[in-house]
Amino acid sequence: MDEKFSISIGRQLGSGGRVIGEKLASQLGISFFDKELIQIASQESGLGKEFFEQVDEKTSHSIFSGLFGLHSAYTNDIYSNSYLSNETLFKIQSDVIRELAEKQSCIFVGRCADYVLKDHSRCLNLFITADMNDRVKRIAEIQKMTENKAKDYIEKMDKKRASYYNYFSNKVWGAAGSYHLCINSSVLGIDETATYIRQFVEKRFGQMG
Amino acid sequence: MKSKGSPLALGTGNVWKLLLQYAIPSVIAMTATSLYNIIDSVFIGQGVGALAISGLAITFPLMNLGAAFGSLVGVGAATLMSLRLGQKDYSTANNILGNVFVLNLIFGIAYTIIVLLFLDPILAFFGASADTLPYAHEYMVVISLGNVVTHLYLGLNALLRATGNPQKSMIATIISVIINLILAPLFIYGFNWGIRGAALATVIAQSTMLLWQIKLFSNKQNFIHLQKGIFRLKRRIVTDSLAIGLAPFLMNAVSCVIVILINKGLIKYGGDLEVGAYGIVNRVAFLFVMIVMGLTQGMQPIAGYNFGANQIDRVNKALKYTILLATCVMTAGFLIGEFFPHAVASIFTKDKTLIELAVPGLRIVFLFFPIIGFQMVTGNFFQSIGMAKKAIFLSLSRQLLFLLPFMIIFPKFFGVSGVWYSFPVADSLSSIIAAVMLIKHYRKSVIKL
Repeated sequence: MDEKFSISIGRQLGSGGRVIGEKLASQLGISFFDKELIQIASQESGLGKEFFEQVDEKTSHSIFSGLFGLHSAYTNDIYSNSYLSNETLFKIQSDVIRELAEKQSCIFVGRCADYVLKDHSRCLNLFITADMNDRVKRIAEIQKMTENKAKDYIEKMDKKRASYYNYFSNKVWGAAGSYHLCINSSVLGIDETATYIRQFVEKRFGQMG
Repeated sequence: MKSKGSPLALGTGNVWKLLLQYAIPSVIAMTATSLYNIIDSVFIGQGVGALAISGLAITFPLMNLGAAFGSLVGVGAATLMSLRLGQKDYSTANNILGNVFVLNLIFGIAYTIIVLLFLDPILAFFGASADTLPYAHEYMVVISLGNVVTHLYLGLNALLRATGNPQKSMIATIISVIINLILAPLFIYGFNWGIRGAALATVIAQSTMLLWQIKLFSNKQNFIHLQKGIFRLKRRIVTDSLAIGLAPFLMNAVSCVIVILINKGLIKYGGDLEVGAYGIVNRVAFLFVMIVMGLTQGMQPIAGYNFGANQIDRVNKALKYTILLATCVMTAGFLIGEFFPHAVASIFTKDKTLIELAVPGLRIVFLFFPIIGFQMVTGNFFQSIGMAKKAIFLSLSRQLLFLLPFMIIFPKFFGVSGVWYSFPVADSLSSIIAAVMLIKHYRKSVIKL
């Protein structure tokens, strides 16, 4: 199995999407990119990491953010090029994703990778969910929060991610039609879900590892 | 961006060269429109009369409001278009083109109907008197009927820029000005159509360029072209565009409100000719302001990129050079306004009364021009480095915090001069605020380093 392929993983917060991605990557012997994308984007463009981090997977285009956001010029109809706008940073990051997918087989977590790679002929798009209880427990542990706080945090972050994805990708976050495979990790647990997904990947791209 | 190699140039090239490279096209585009406005006013003032200029001045905010509604769609759609093109999502990009068309049609026609239905009450509210109303009315009827054309023309111009054809959009602007400049005197002096002729010249010029734009967008060879199926409105495109375009629209609307209040104040304390005088002052001042705005737009990518790349010395260079250029431009304006006000006013009209009213206006309003360059650049500087809140605050501070209350209070004590004096006072105060904000910004960043 020599030809390159890509896997994009959309995930609800606390569903274990990132962990599954890492396991898959190591089992299949391919590269894994989550927050690492920011480092690469920063290096390639010369722009500081903090600018990418500020807009990472969050953007909302409500009326108020339009007032204070980093969009085009606020005078006349002249559209001016702000190098630090959400859109410019997204473009830089998505160019990085495409370059990486060109050079090697990869797994990408989030960042609208499925939309960015829509013209890639060998890309599988996954979406990982989990039961709310499991998500709350996981986040409460990782973030050292109470379960109530964790629930609020999860709902807030899901909204932000959905807003980001819906704006940039033009698809619908979490809707089955946006992905090839949607799976609830609570059913089989993290490890077994990763194994199950691996079978799906290998059926699509051929045996490996 | 990467393919054009420009980020590297922004980060390493000579800052002066970069500034001129980016600023000159912007300056040309922005002054073209301003120059046309001036020359249009000259033809109307010389060819029709002093009251005509006053009537025209009453319509300024109404016209700006119309254009603002047009850009409500265009600005947002252009941002979205850029985004989709960056992802080679041509089907969505084409949908954006179609949606812009339909939205502009809807907004344009709605605006036309509303304005025409309530034209006279609106103009009266804007400050038209029994003497100026007929001129304002004649002018606005033609402009309103052509409003759809204006909207479409501005919207497609924005999309031309977004699809990587900024030169074509500049050409459209310049040629529309040229056509206007040929037709206006022909209609006013040749056919004796008065102020209506000036309006007709504008509409015809824009219609011609609109036809050219439509032809450009009909080229089936391009990825983005007009075709069946793209005209169905998509909720996402509409809401996203409007959300993005709302902020510039509101800023524009605020400016319009300020001008309306100025005109009403002038009418109350002075009379119709005062409004005409302000129309002249406004047009001339606007020319210099537009040049500076072009300069700041040139500064934006340079300051923005280098701030992102943490090359603060280059950011500072870009800021310094732009302030220098802007101050030179505004000082030129200052010199013209202070030492040649008679000559300037005489360009617009032969009416002695109007000239005598415009002269002090020019002298007072242009008084602190050399400082305003700094204020405008600073506001745009904050926007370039991503501090939009500060930028908006600076802009609103001049208009709402200072100018507005001064315009209401000063005339109570100083009569009509009070309206004139509110400008330089507001300008100097907002420049002080700009300076304070800039100093604070640099203090903070030094501590950060």
